Amino acid sequence: MTDETNIANQASDPVLLNARHPASDEEWMQEFQQGSAEGFSILFDRYKQPVFAFFRRRIVDRAAAEELAQETFLALLRAQSRYRPDRLFRVYLYAIAYKILNRYRRKTAFRAAFLGMPDEHIEPSTNPSVETDLAIREAVRKLDAIDREILLLRQFDLLSYAEIAEVLELPVNTVRSRLFRARAALRTLLESSPRPTIAPLRAQEQL
Amino acid sequence: MNPATHPVSPQDIMAFLDTETFGKEALRVENHMRQCVECTALAAHLCGTSAMLAEWTVPPIPQHVEDAVLAAAASVNASRTNPKASRTTPLTFRNWRLWTIAGSGAAAAILGLVAVAVSLEYHRRPDLNTLPQTQTAAETDARSASIGGAMQADALKPAPPPSQTARYSSANDTTPAAPQAAVMIARTVALGIQVKDYAPARTALDAILARHRGYAASLTLNTPENDARTFTASLRVPASELDAALRELRQLGRVQTETQSGEEVSQQHADLAARLHNARETEARLLAILQQRTGKVDEVLDVEEKISDVRGEIETMEAEQQELEHRVAFASIDLQLTEEYRAQLGTRTPPVSTRMHNAFVAGLGHASATLLSLALFAEEFGPAILIWLAIAALPVWIVWRRYRRALLRA
Repeated sequence: MTDETNIANQASDPVLLNARHPASDEEWMQEFQQGSAEGFSILFDRYKQPVFAFFRRRIVDRAAAEELAQETFLALLRAQSRYRPDRLFRVYLYAIAYKILNRYRRKTAFRAAFLGMPDEHIEPSTNPSVETDLAIREAVRKLDAIDREILLLRQFDLLSYAEIAEVLELPVNTVRSRLFRARAALRTLLESSPRPTIAPLRAQEQL
Repeated sequence: MNPATHPVSPQDIMAFLDTETFGKEALRVENHMRQCVECTALAAHLCGTSAMLAEWTVPPIPQHVEDAVLAAAASVNASRTNPKASRTTPLTFRNWRLWTIAGSGAAAAILGLVAVAVSLEYHRRPDLNTLPQTQTAAETDARSASIGGAMQADALKPAPPPSQTARYSSANDTTPAAPQAAVMIARTVALGIQVKDYAPARTALDAILARHRGYAASLTLNTPENDARTFTASLRVPASELDAALRELRQLGRVQTETQSGEEVSQQHADLAARLHNARETEARLLAILQQRTGKVDEVLDVEEKISDVRGEIETMEAEQQELEHRVAFASIDLQLTEEYRAQLGTRTPPVSTRMHNAFVAGLGHASATLLSLALFAEEFGPAILIWLAIAALPVWIVWRRYRRALLRA
């Protein structure tokens, strides 16, 4: 992991940001609805990196991920009046992001159905971190679509089962069972991965 | 895992590790894991998977994305503080656009309804609309005085009276090719009048017909429930009396529509007279042959048969000629009297049960008609639709399959 990435992940960590700004997301969103520019600024600082990571982990095209992250916050700006304080802001934001992601996927698939698949192959880098990323990405990609979404939302976005269920509009029990299935499948896929960087992780775990 | 030896499920362990279990449930899972090596190994597996995934890092968000979002946020804030600017903000514009779309939709719906209403009205009065000229009531009122005179002056000049045309119907006419003294025109008038009361209007109509030596070819009175009575009549009056009769008819009430037309039948009459003249000459020659010459019985019978045929043609043509001359001698007036409708309180209406019964029967009729229409549609267009579906199935399936694949890859 590079220093730049570490700094970015720490700077955008909602836990650390919440420590600096004790008010909850919902309160800041209400402030923003009432005209406070600071409200949106705080929320953007808290969620800009998680939202960008949300798209970056799901879309190979970096430019598209940037565009969709930007579009998510613009949609939040437009839809500010429709936000209800009784709903968790995080769930509201991820629901927007998930809708935008699905729309992008449908559009891309529709285009690909007529124009053919774009070449998404990524050249392996000499950087071991990128190598590991590719291996994990390939393994995650082989999961069932819903299982994959549940796993990513839980693992990287730290959403609770109930929050995942709300974003994906699924029962909580379904989220729980599918998450377990996804983790088991991913484990199998990663263990069978030929990437050399996975092996040390396995050895480390056994210790 | 055996539920007897493992009172907690693997999913419970996963939920425990994800801090999704609380209280007694969490304590129960924790206690079991302390005693169970298998479940501890499962927990280590799950943690290992999470550790592997944690290696998947993402670079920081680019600065230009941050700048673009913050600029948009600043624009939204500026529009809040400045009400005029808010008119151009996306949110306000969106509302305005919605209103515009809704207004346009409503206007289109109203236009559609008006078009349908006009179309229905057009089809409801085919008799008046198919006539060559239609005047509104106001125009008719304003121009009623000049219509007769203007039409008399030119093409619609009244045909000669029966006495003048009598020579055409003469059975002994031998000069059909002679120049005609007058143009023969069959006149037709359609008149729609709204009257206050039907009964006095009807009496006055009879008097007008008697005064002008006309007659009614057909009469129809329609008395619908909860609607105005309408009286339709096909009148015949001598052509010379037409204008006077029309003037009096217009006095019956308010003229709503009036249409006049004239058909020139001079050439048709002349052709008929010539054919009639030739047929009579043929008949005369055949009679002479039969009287002056003798021959075989077959030949005599053959001549008599031809005389019979010619006689039949002559009688048919004479009837046509008389009908044509009658159309010229007597103008036709299609009159429609509409009584002013006055709604009355306490009119006798059927009881509710009867009305419900009628509505139910009508509903059944409509439902069966709809089903029948659907069946007929399926029968008529079903095979063609199936053919088109079969043609389109393969490309649609190919595109759908590519779409699904691309969606999975995305």
